[in-house]
Amino acid sequence: MIQDRQHIRRGKDVWVPTVCAGCYNCCGVRVHRVNGKVVEVVGDPKASNSKGYICAKGICRALDLHHPSRVVKPLKRTNPEKGIGVDPKWAEISWEEALDTITEKLGKVREEDPRKLIISHFDISAYKPTIAFALAYGTVNFIWNRADYCGSASHPVWLITNGALNSEIDFEYCKYFILWGTQLGHVVNTIPLVSGHALAERRRQGAKLVVVDPFCSNAAAKADEWLPLKPGTDGALALAMLNIMVYELGIYDVDFLKHQTNGPYLVQPDGHYLRDEESGEPLVWDLSDGRAKPYDADDLKDPAIEGNYEVAGGSYRPAFHVLKDHLGQIDVDEMSRICTIPIERIRSITKEFCEAARIGSTIEIEGHKLPLRPAGIDFKRGAAAHKGGFNTCFAIHLINLLVGAIDVPGGQRGVNPQGPYWSAETGPDGLLVPSDVITKYNKPYPGRQAKIPEHLDLQELFPAALFTRGLYPWGIDNPEVFGIPYKPEVMLHSRSNLMLNSHNPHAMAETLKKLKFQVSMVMFIDETAEFADIILPDAHEFERWDIFPANDPYAFIAPGPGEWYWLMRQPVVEPPEGTRPFLEVYFELAERLGILDEMYQIGNDSWVIDEQYRFEKGKEYTIRDIAERQAKTILGPDFSWDRLQETSCMVSRKKTIEEAFPRMFFKSRVPIYLEYLLKHGKDVKAVTDELGLEWDFTPYSPVPVWIPCEAHADDEGYDLIVTNGKVPTHQFSVTTENLWIDEIAVRNPYTYSVMIHTSVAEKKGLETGDKVCVESRYGKVTGRLMVTELIHPECIGTCGTFGHWAKGMPISLNKGVSHNQLLPPPSLKRIDTLTGQIDTCIRAKIYKAGERDDA
Amino acid sequence: MPRYGMVIDLKKCIGCYSCVVACKAEHNTPNGLFQTTVLEKELGRFPNSIRVFMPVLCNHCEEATCVDVCPTEATYKRDDGVVMIDFDKCIGCGACIEHCPYHARDFVVDDRTVFPDGKTVFVKPVYQKIPKKVALKCDFCFYRVEKGLLPACVEVCPTAARIFGDVEDTKSEVHELMEKYSAWTMLPDEGTKPQVYYIG
Ligand code: SF4
Ligand code: SF4
Repeated sequence: MIQDRQHIRRGKDVWVPTVCAGCYNCCGVRVHRVNGKVVEVVGDPKASNSKGYICAKGICRALDLHHPSRVVKPLKRTNPEKGIGVDPKWAEISWEEALDTITEKLGKVREEDPRKLIISHFDISAYKPTIAFALAYGTVNFIWNRADYCGSASHPVWLITNGALNSEIDFEYCKYFILWGTQLGHVVNTIPLVSGHALAERRRQGAKLVVVDPFCSNAAAKADEWLPLKPGTDGALALAMLNIMVYELGIYDVDFLKHQTNGPYLVQPDGHYLRDEESGEPLVWDLSDGRAKPYDADDLKDPAIEGNYEVAGGSYRPAFHVLKDHLGQIDVDEMSRICTIPIERIRSITKEFCEAARIGSTIEIEGHKLPLRPAGIDFKRGAAAHKGGFNTCFAIHLINLLVGAIDVPGGQRGVNPQGPYWSAETGPDGLLVPSDVITKYNKPYPGRQAKIPEHLDLQELFPAALFTRGLYPWGIDNPEVFGIPYKPEVMLHSRSNLMLNSHNPHAMAETLKKLKFQVSMVMFIDETAEFADIILPDAHEFERWDIFPANDPYAFIAPGPGEWYWLMRQPVVEPPEGTRPFLEVYFELAERLGILDEMYQIGNDSWVIDEQYRFEKGKEYTIRDIAERQAKTILGPDFSWDRLQETSCMVSRKKTIEEAFPRMFFKSRVPIYLEYLLKHGKDVKAVTDELGLEWDFTPYSPVPVWIPCEAHADDEGYDLIVTNGKVPTHQFSVTTENLWIDEIAVRNPYTYSVMIHTSVAEKKGLETGDKVCVESRYGKVTGRLMVTELIHPECIGTCGTFGHWAKGMPISLNKGVSHNQLLPPPSLKRIDTLTGQIDTCIRAKIYKAGERDDA
Repeated sequence: MPRYGMVIDLKKCIGCYSCVVACKAEHNTPNGLFQTTVLEKELGRFPNSIRVFMPVLCNHCEEATCVDVCPTEATYKRDDGVVMIDFDKCIGCGACIEHCPYHARDFVVDDRTVFPDGKTVFVKPVYQKIPKKVALKCDFCFYRVEKGLLPACVEVCPTAARIFGDVEDTKSEVHELMEKYSAWTMLPDEGTKPQVYYIG
């Protein structure tokens, strides 16, 4: 058996440094163990990502270990019928029996067609080994989780421009922050504690904060200006701002556009680049000698970004000019009407932002003279999770790009596109591509070849996407429609409550029922685990080793200047008798299936393992052994476990300026014109035509367009749009079963409430405390009403992912609502056909549902 | 002898509740009881409405009503300014709870941190165990302060919105902030002279 129990720190009363998993940020913490029991969690002052701070969720992690509803024995379903409210009639079984049954099933399915297996979880520290398991087994169906409801549309935008998976703003130099559909710096988003500290400090010193959100979120509460737009109209607002920048203000960074972007690339009337006949490279017009030449010609001095240029008898415009013409077509008054932000307000914010960017200013840091652009916009789910998500995100990001506020001091920046063992590259046509370490096979640019899908998430139909995980139900329900040559049968599931975090649970129930054999590795029997055939009791994060580092350094560690740091998760206590960390189970299953060796070999190439530490064939390595080899690779051969006595955070070295502010050091250019989408659109059309599928090609536009959501069309009787936001005390449904978190959530006026504006409540005769039903065409939820001035009058507001109904979740039972339950399963009209992003805007009505709740 | 007080920077506070939970964990307060919390308030009409986060705790008043009304001297003020409850002396009469203008006190009915099964109790080492049938409120983590540590809520606050120190020491950070930002206190007309100051 591959396990590491013997390495737990001894002692009666000890503090063990490890890594929190209250959210995906993996803060370094110190956990107090007394007489074998975890009793408290505090921040670790030595941890670079938390600096001694800790959030409410993190402190409360001490409680879940002791929760009496924890599953502590493997269970098997004895009632073959599955469904919401159907008692599975669990029977306790031994681990031996459970693993035998699972192995037999997995072995059989593997022989038939390994692709019938789906791996599902949302544990960022476990991606690498579970993907290796999937590959060794032979399935392509990893990893189903809810990430798609959030970042499918936004990640590609950062990947093609920053070469990074995530985004942030430079807290040190920025003086004008726009948070667009995100609460960065408010303990909700990435690097929450350090960014929370930094942003509050900047605000105190006079930096301006603007927040775009239909609800007055925690971030909007701190904003100097809250822009409460109508949900899903972010694209309209961004396009209006772009028009104002370029036409009314005439402010854009010409130098940046000329030398750092594809703005000068000459474009043909059909939208494609004009290419050099010989080399095939895009041509630009050099104003210094009045000639067309390849964008990377040695003698290129002054590429034109505006004008019409004659080349070989044709007349061509630079890409920036094409973009500018396109922006000229935008009717700003119409956009203002759509997003409901008064045009004068849009004008003043745009002007302030453009002026704050101080185009032309520079700063000297450590001997490097760099542009200083102290204004930046960060955008996340609020902007992205809509039908036109990609176009919207790109439009917003163009505001950063046109002032050159990207990856230079003061501006928006990608999260670590450059690192000690990875580096962004120059791709086709001189444009930026992210490192293979960040994404090897799914680079949105240059993208992949569209094909008939093999994956159940249909990713082949989205060649310019990063991932399309939210589409699994679409593929599982309709493999034949998409030409998928097999039907899924088995799912290994853990740490992702698909029933609550996707769409209408009755539809999801039908999807889960199609999987004939589901194994759920869980601490609590939640709504998804209720569909399992076998339940395996999982461990808490304080009961397990994880591979190293716990957090991907290019995703969740602080970007910008500072140091390179790495977090190591170690157990504080043994998992309770009868439970096992789910990763350990993956290794055991691999061993039983005879694919363990293969898994390690895949690990050799993808887990950051130096040549000298490679796994040998025929040997067994525990998770701790793997972590040790990774740590030696990253930190050097003198890494020893002693380092883990004091802190879970290990610093390797200071970041260089090239790593902290990489833009001016990159050889690549940033696209402001997405020519590559034309080809992908054509390819996807060929495939969807072949499959006889209707498809939407509007998003495949080289310049950003406004794409309304389904919810923007009137629908009689469904008069409001439901929106959903995060709160600092909860993370997905990870925290909902926590005793203390629940106590503070109950006391908060908004967290568990359904919110509408005073004027709407008056019209409908509703009052705070009423029990209300929110009903869309696809589902309904009931909750307690909170009448407020903090929400757009065309909205119904909800927070978090609540509304549990599983008996195994007694604390969270019937608390709050899950907005996702109002959504239908994925369909053409409710996804971004470029990125697979799910549109979360939904029309609904609200009415009284029985007795008041005066709690 | 220092005179302890706290400055709360409302401009900085982001309403994350870390302080609320840190305090809960530090004292392991029984179910549903908190020694500090964050009040939320809405002001103005949409779209000019604003949302305010207001951390509150015992004000450790100079002229503390609770001290005056306590029949057993269980509630008293220390020389360093901390208003204390001696659980041994407290008879749970509730006079202080009724008279505190800030509603900073609660009555402990059940002294356990218990899970919904009604049996599983979360226990942890604390400076003093909170008994049943007493009044409960913030103690400025005096035992931490005596050891040179900060109160739990101050230490944890990611935005440094809570600042603790000697309000009479003109060189202290709290004093400087009070001067610089013209600090104010809650319900000054009550004449209680709170030692929790607000800025921002
Ligand atoms: S921010 Fe996330 S990782 Fe950090 S302490 Fe809070 S829950 Fe834990
Ligand atoms: S921890 Fe700090 S920022 Fe968070 S609610 Fe408390 S005082 Fe406010």
